[in-house]
Amino acid sequence: MRAWLAPADDVLRQAPWIMSNLETRRALLRLAFCIVAFALLYGAMMGTFRGIAGQSQWMRQIVYSAVKVPILLSVAFAISLPNFFVLNSLFGLRRDFGQAIRALVAAQAGLTIILASLGPVTMLWYASSANYQHALLFNGLMFAVASFSAQWLVRGYYRPLIVRNRRHSLMLWTWMFVYALVAIQLAWIMRPFVGSPASEVQFLRADAWDNAYVYVIRLVWQAVF
Amino acid sequence: MLKWLAQLDRLLRGETTRPESLRDGQIEIAAGGLAILIVVLGMIYGLCMGSYSLLKGPSAADVDANARYLQLIASTIKVPALFYLTLLVTFPSLYVFNALVGSRLTMGNVLRLLIASLAVNLAVLASLGPIVLFFSASTKSYAFILLLNVTVFSVAGFLGLVFLMQTLNRLTSIDWSRDRSLEAAREPISSADDAAEIFLEPAAHGDPSALELPPGQALGRHTRLVFGCWVVVFALVGAQMGWVLRPFIGSPGLPFSWFRERQSNFFEAILEALRALLTTGG
Repeated sequence: MRAWLAPADDVLRQAPWIMSNLETRRALLRLAFCIVAFALLYGAMMGTFRGIAGQSQWMRQIVYSAVKVPILLSVAFAISLPNFFVLNSLFGLRRDFGQAIRALVAAQAGLTIILASLGPVTMLWYASSANYQHALLFNGLMFAVASFSAQWLVRGYYRPLIVRNRRHSLMLWTWMFVYALVAIQLAWIMRPFVGSPASEVQFLRADAWDNAYVYVIRLVWQAVF
Repeated sequence: MLKWLAQLDRLLRGETTRPESLRDGQIEIAAGGLAILIVVLGMIYGLCMGSYSLLKGPSAADVDANARYLQLIASTIKVPALFYLTLLVTFPSLYVFNALVGSRLTMGNVLRLLIASLAVNLAVLASLGPIVLFFSASTKSYAFILLLNVTVFSVAGFLGLVFLMQTLNRLTSIDWSRDRSLEAAREPISSADDAAEIFLEPAAHGDPSALELPPGQALGRHTRLVFGCWVVVFALVGAQMGWVLRPFIGSPGLPFSWFRERQSNFFEAILEALRALLTTGG
């Protein structure tokens, strides 16, 4: 157990092996393992909404949600990557690209670890309120908290790069903007993650293809007014 | 058991958390023994809390006369469960954010620190148990008993969390002074002049400049911020956990059940109880 958690602890504490040029493959494998394991964990906790409400097919929902969170994060990463590569090359930062990717992967791992640590709070929320809309908003809040905290981490990992060339700072902001834009829409397409009690358990919704941003604005509007 | 009680006593007197005892950056307590003691203290308070339903006679809504005893058992189990479940929910995120800001507290140390403050919390709570028992025997108003219990929990929780923050302050300031002594050791004094200068102007060398905080202190401040936020989250989660696990006291108007329906939240219920106390007399 301790050996499994040690890499996670290293990610949070910015251990030197994460950014050093030695053993690149091993370091990336460990980080990828962290991402998948902790994303699965949060996904599973996210999918307990039906189970806590005592509805049928709750096991299936947990499995679906658990599988979908790592897919969501890695696909969003993959979609945003080409643009990041081109921009880095364009601004003359190609030489540091390997290090930049390492920093981003490490931050991604950090994001999933923070998310997983917030999982029990989400489950308590489910246990205290049966409202599906509020459960959705609460999960959104947890993702937002994790993203803001992961930002702290990525800036730590990026510090040596920014010291070397100030343009890295601009690249980082661009990355965060593009990644968030893609991830939010992707999460919308890949729904349901929580599983509405009113509809069947399914991996993807048939009518999923539309815009997330419009829907979220409406949801917040309804919750507040 | 007696050994554990002696340890709790040392904790309450502050002997365990004196700066010189914390020198190694960790609290020297047997967390296992204290953890069991926490359960015992929680059960004692749970008995006092559940006594209301026993002392008020069978409620009108109960068909089964034994339901009163069930409420007593439920409260005895639920009070320790409340604290441990709250810890379970909040501990992972506390540890993760603590590691994220670069604190040197390891997982074992964070856990020991929290067990120690929970022990203080429960000791205060259990010591207030007899007062709750007295009021349970002498009061009819359910709303009053409800608010009394909330107050007792808040007082105990507040003291436990103040203990946590104070111990943490000591731990981080020790971290800081150790950093400074390490830095001093790294720069050997080369000549007698330098030594005299250091001796004559301790302020110039000893104090950090306004812009450059020593690393230990900067990290300590972030750690304290994380724990400060955590204290608030712990209180909120604890309150809501209490609501999820209700009933603890057992409303005289409702039949016994182990858990109630998912509805409303803790804060709404408190306002409702206050309204009931002030308008109808409970």
